[in-house]
Amino acid sequence: MARHVSAIRSRFCFGTMGLTALFAFVPSLAAQSSDTPTTALPVTATSTSSLPDAPTPTDAVLAASAVPSLSLNFFSTAPYQQASATLSSRSQSTDQNPSPPSLSDLGLTPDQTKPDPDAQARLDRRSHMLKIHQRLGLYTTIPIAVACISGAGAVPDKNSYGNTTSRDVHVSIAAVAIGMYASTAYYAIRAPRVSDEPARGGIKIHKYLIWIHAPGMILTPILGTMAFNDIASGHKPTGIAQYHQAVALTTAVAYGASIIAVSWPIHFPHHGAQ
Amino acid sequence: MNLRYASLLLLLCPIASAQSDRSFILDQSTLTYHMTHPIHEVDGVSHAAKGKGVCHTGQCDFLLAVAVKTFDSGDSNRDLHMLQVTRGAQFPIVTVRFRLPESALDSPNLDCDLEVQFAGNTTHYAHVPFHQVMEGNRHHITGTVPSTLTDFKIDPPSFLTVPIKNEIPVRVDTTWSQQ
Repeated sequence: MARHVSAIRSRFCFGTMGLTALFAFVPSLAAQSSDTPTTALPVTATSTSSLPDAPTPTDAVLAASAVPSLSLNFFSTAPYQQASATLSSRSQSTDQNPSPPSLSDLGLTPDQTKPDPDAQARLDRRSHMLKIHQRLGLYTTIPIAVACISGAGAVPDKNSYGNTTSRDVHVSIAAVAIGMYASTAYYAIRAPRVSDEPARGGIKIHKYLIWIHAPGMILTPILGTMAFNDIASGHKPTGIAQYHQAVALTTAVAYGASIIAVSWPIHFPHHGAQ
Repeated sequence: MNLRYASLLLLLCPIASAQSDRSFILDQSTLTYHMTHPIHEVDGVSHAAKGKGVCHTGQCDFLLAVAVKTFDSGDSNRDLHMLQVTRGAQFPIVTVRFRLPESALDSPNLDCDLEVQFAGNTTHYAHVPFHQVMEGNRHHITGTVPSTLTDFKIDPPSFLTVPIKNEIPVRVDTTWSQQ
């Protein structure tokens, strides 16, 4: 009986020792298998609170340590290296001091802060094309103005219908104006759209005026050709051809207004000095 | 017994210091850049800035951030050009960081050293004066950042082939509330 009791005792002792050894071994197994994060992470997370020297994870510390893990991925790109460095230093010292606020603390999402090189490329291309549009548009005012002036001299006297010099000069200058206008329009039309928002400010009027000067630029040479043929036939322009000058002047005025509209409001320096 | 009191004191010390930490949230903001051209004076305004300030051990760190595309000059075409020249799609956020001693937070005049990240460049502005009016928990802070285009390596955009002035001061009008 005594041998039986001692056998049970010894089994109990060995069993206890075995269990102790097993429980003592489990955390070290978990630590060694940390290169397999899917199994190790939950173990590490639960075992943290059972370790005697582990700091108690408060809500603030958990929240602070959660932010960089999200932000570091986002800030890993070049423009935000400095912010990234700040965040990484912050995560190291998070149990010591609360770190300076970061962009993620402000509620900015990665979508709001991530660089968009494609959008930048579209903006660059748009600006480049619109600069050409602007420059060509300014240059185009010269042949348009000259065409208007030469048009006044192109109206023949009753006795000089056969003299076509002034009309030829007017037609040549007008052709240059129309060609430059078409080139100017091309750069505006082909510039990439980067925003679907409705236009605001002077650009809105600039765009409205297209509906006047663009048809005018098509209609004016057609009416001019009809008027030219009428005069070449030895009589004054008739029908809609007689409105060539009126349409041309309306087009020129609308064109000039569209330049002023995109420049509006104009503040001359002496206004600022007052 | 004394050991117990001492350890209790040690335990309470961090709690006491944590309670003294203050934080601030930006409630309202109006940031206005001013651009000058021989025939134009333009103000671009944003009300979309976000900000936070955290105080610890006598120092307060503030961060203010605003998206470049939120500035509205009243002309959508101009705003898109501004976005292009400032590389606003590549670097969509302007951030302003500054640190103040906590003791200075109640002063009517603030002397701030600003670190501004904008258009992919970082510039420091030392001793920028700000004026503060306190109303209860709210701190109304106004001032002007004397920024220039060259500070951020921005090519001056031109209009009618004439470039704008290099100086682009940014007027800051913010209201912070203490948490």
